[in-house]
Amino acid sequence: MIPPPSAQAAPRAPDKPNPALPAVVPAIRGRGRLRAIRVGYRGQLALMLAPYLVGTAGLVVLPALIGLPLAFTDYNALEAPVWVGFANFVELAGDDIFRKSVFNSLFYIALAVPLRLLGALGLAFLLAQPFKGTGAYRAAVYLPTVVPDIAWALVWLWIFNPIHGPLNQLLAVAGIPGPAWMIEEWGARFAIVFMMCWQIGEGLVVCLAALGDVPGEVLEQSRVDGASAIQTMLGITLPLLMPVLLILLFRDTIFSLQANFVPALIVGRGGGPNYATTFLPMYVYTNAFDYLRLGYAAAMTWAMYALTAIVLVLQYRVAKRYRLGFGDAE
Amino acid sequence: MSGTRIWSRVMLLAVVLATGVGAVVAPAVRVRAQDGPSGEISFAFWGDPAEEAAYTRVAEEFEAANPDIDVELVYTPGQNDYQTKIATDFAGGNPPDVFLINYRRYGQYAARGALEPLGPRLDASATLNDDDFYAPPMEAFRYRGGELSCIPQNVSSLVVYYNQDLFAQAGVDEPEAGWTWDQFAAAAEALTVDEDNDGIAETYGLAVDPSMIRYAPFIWGAGGEIVDDLDAPTTLTLDTPEARAGIEFFINLGHTGIGAVPTEAELLSEDDESRFMRGGAAMLLQSRRVVPTLREIEGFAWDVAPLPVGPAGPVGILHSDAFCLAAEAENKDAAWAFIEYAVGVKGQTILAETGRTVPSLKAVAESDAFLKGNALGGELGVGLPPANSRVFLDTIPDIRRVPSISTWPEIEEAFNTAFQRAFYIEIDVDGALDVSTFRSREAFQRAAEEDQT
Amino acid sequence: MRRGGREMGVRAWVDRSWRHAILLPLVAVFVLPLVWMTTTSLRETGKPLPRTLEWVGDPVAWSNYPAVFDLLPLWRFAANSAFVVAVAVPLTILVASWAGFAMAQLPREWRLRLTLLSFGVQMVPLTAVWLTRFVLFKQLGLIDTPWALIAPAVMGSSPFYVLLFLWTFLRVPREVFESARLDGANPLRVWVGIAMPLARPTIIAVSVLAFVLYWSSFVDPLVYIRSTDRQTLPFALQMLFQLDRSNWPLLMAGAVLVTGPVVLVFLLAQRYFLQEFRGQGFLGR
Repeated sequence: MIPPPSAQAAPRAPDKPNPALPAVVPAIRGRGRLRAIRVGYRGQLALMLAPYLVGTAGLVVLPALIGLPLAFTDYNALEAPVWVGFANFVELAGDDIFRKSVFNSLFYIALAVPLRLLGALGLAFLLAQPFKGTGAYRAAVYLPTVVPDIAWALVWLWIFNPIHGPLNQLLAVAGIPGPAWMIEEWGARFAIVFMMCWQIGEGLVVCLAALGDVPGEVLEQSRVDGASAIQTMLGITLPLLMPVLLILLFRDTIFSLQANFVPALIVGRGGGPNYATTFLPMYVYTNAFDYLRLGYAAAMTWAMYALTAIVLVLQYRVAKRYRLGFGDAE
Repeated sequence: MSGTRIWSRVMLLAVVLATGVGAVVAPAVRVRAQDGPSGEISFAFWGDPAEEAAYTRVAEEFEAANPDIDVELVYTPGQNDYQTKIATDFAGGNPPDVFLINYRRYGQYAARGALEPLGPRLDASATLNDDDFYAPPMEAFRYRGGELSCIPQNVSSLVVYYNQDLFAQAGVDEPEAGWTWDQFAAAAEALTVDEDNDGIAETYGLAVDPSMIRYAPFIWGAGGEIVDDLDAPTTLTLDTPEARAGIEFFINLGHTGIGAVPTEAELLSEDDESRFMRGGAAMLLQSRRVVPTLREIEGFAWDVAPLPVGPAGPVGILHSDAFCLAAEAENKDAAWAFIEYAVGVKGQTILAETGRTVPSLKAVAESDAFLKGNALGGELGVGLPPANSRVFLDTIPDIRRVPSISTWPEIEEAFNTAFQRAFYIEIDVDGALDVSTFRSREAFQRAAEEDQT
Repeated sequence: MRRGGREMGVRAWVDRSWRHAILLPLVAVFVLPLVWMTTTSLRETGKPLPRTLEWVGDPVAWSNYPAVFDLLPLWRFAANSAFVVAVAVPLTILVASWAGFAMAQLPREWRLRLTLLSFGVQMVPLTAVWLTRFVLFKQLGLIDTPWALIAPAVMGSSPFYVLLFLWTFLRVPREVFESARLDGANPLRVWVGIAMPLARPTIIAVSVLAFVLYWSSFVDPLVYIRSTDRQTLPFALQMLFQLDRSNWPLLMAGAVLVTGPVVLVFLLAQRYFLQEFRGQGFLGR
């Protein structure tokens, strides 16, 4: 196992002049021979980091990197790949289903991510202060998040059933004619967003934790100054939360681009109707494993990375422009 | 050219390096018995539990007859999951030795040399002959008209399952061989009953899935064609007056026409088989594979009839699966021994008795195992439904098929999406024709290019 | 909340009431899918489906549950799932907390770099690594073994979990680790003796997240497991779905059976990571 360069090469933490070194440093500063026998504190830290880094490299980074050059080949996994230059990308440009899947993915992000964030944040505000029953409320809100994907998808397949499904029957009680959810294209797109808005437990926990970190004195001062609860929330709490919210935004964007695979497979019956729920991962999957077009699928994966990067950069720039507290957000 | 080759080498090297253990060669040395094949083979298949039981029995009886060979069963229930699994196994270099596959799907593997041709082995077989089998499925598994790739286990086709009680109640004559499209449509309409007029019929005349393999016999029956050349197709040929007539007749059965087929919303609530089994549909267009399930019906009598005859004469569409042998299989002799057994008289008899297959072996198809549902049926004078199983055999001379090129699944998908819409949502046949032709063009081209190299 | 005085009491009561008034319906909406899942599973199979809203089947039928067990070797699948979770969750905690602990003590710029890397890794869609992982697992002889499903645990399952530990350990004043180190303790001892006891809520939170991850994993068993008797519960649900796509009561019974254990584990553990944030919150800075 190779310790990451950080262990030996990096200077000491600049903020902490470190008197501790003499005790362990000989091992670090010593010649290679000595180091091989005795690993210093830093070296041992590197060893603790190693499984994560090696595992990530072996299971994610390398497999993903190998996939990338495949985008320039025709590869069916049964024969050796054949170099085709940019042919896959040219084909992508003319593929109307691919364009539709990009649109679907963007639509999904544009709608699901803000809804999920707002939902998590709003619930966190309601549930931040402990009172009788908070525990039960928090648990109830978190509960849908732990339901296995496939069970969740099957339940919603039933809920969205246009004739017998509980949702449309509930709407009927209210006198609203329910849409034929998974039969109409827009109904299906909204339906997938809808069902993913339940699983916001992780966002809720993050927001709750962040709210818990808002210093009580600041809030008290604001109250003393005569600010209303809403004013305090908008003027003080929210800006303090911004770094955490931004991290949540990025994470949820990345997550959302991928998490709709099982819903599309089960609730959308493989990306239907008429490709309305063919999101990028679904289309990649179909091409790679149904049609054995791994080169083409790799080209799509490139597109997916690019799309993620563009969205993240856009979000970052907007945040920066409006000074949404991009301080020391680690 | 050489650049291409270098790149493909680099790519392979990268894959090998990524695995980190590329240099380690798996020890594949096996001790072989002196006479006859031996060892372990894997066999992959899909189906419902009844089918799993049948294949398990085939494997067990084979093992009993060949104690030196162990068969590892790889079972996946759904056909889509199965395709994914097989594809990944092949792509990862770990294919099952023997696997079951539909003729519309084996092209992806045959085109890339992933299958061991079985023609020569069949020729050399002591127990089986080419002409013991019905011709249509054998032709389907000769890739692009060449050598036989896999050995078909069945020669099923699309037929009409019908609820005899519902026909009697409605006073509609039961279908007979040679019945016409008009009679078929009239029966479907007459058997559709919506007592409370809420637009949702209590009983539908017909349950059918609007996919290519259901449209196809109607396109052919009207004198149209689906592709320009069965072995080397270059395009869909649906834009002829005949093909359109067939398509329009089919669509007219649905709710945009006479309303004899459940709407998509109703299909989402209850699949066609369940509806038929409950008595909610008088006719069901399906292949032989539903028979084990339909045999659970208790409430009414049912039987099968041939497809109705269109203007261009009788036609059926082939449904056939075959046992294939992976080119990479380590123990081909043992694998072949298993295939030889499974498609032989004993194996096919076991499968026929489950009701699942129309045997591809003429001898078994003509036996009571198929016609009566079990080998004893003939002697006892009673059999399992459907009583008129001979329909499947009578249809064989009129059976046609779709191509087996490597990109065929993509082409079917393009057709299905467009024409399901046309059937359920809007009757825009022109739109569906354009879209499916456009979306399938690339796939036809790739198959043709692949074939030249 | 208790501030004494009748006036304040009334205010607090009002305050609490409107909270409940908002929260009760909201929370009801959140558990509704699970309620429907359960009530539908209690309908009699074969009875025509309801055309109007119906909360509980009449009569209540438990028969769908034994029916699922009849159709599938559910105990077998449950045992397989349990094994995967039992190995993968502790391994995840070990690797992720080690990595987070080490990162927390790295120099700042390296920590930032690794944090960014961890975010970057999350961008990789699983579809992009299925096949290469398959090849890797095959070379290692892991195909068709539970180890193929457990494998992601050797990288801490998800970079997010590592970051959760990192953030937790960053909250611990540096001097705490520093002084232990001065006393000559090696990192492993600092980790066992000081870091982990401080990270209890995070450990529980990551355990629950990892439990859910491995219990729910559906594509991995589809791709890496071949034999039916080595499959896990989510795949069993998929099998049920493939066998009968419109037998809703049966499907929902299956869903309840697969979901039940996770819900149980969550309800037992939630107290530790949902209820107390101030002072020992597992996130934050």
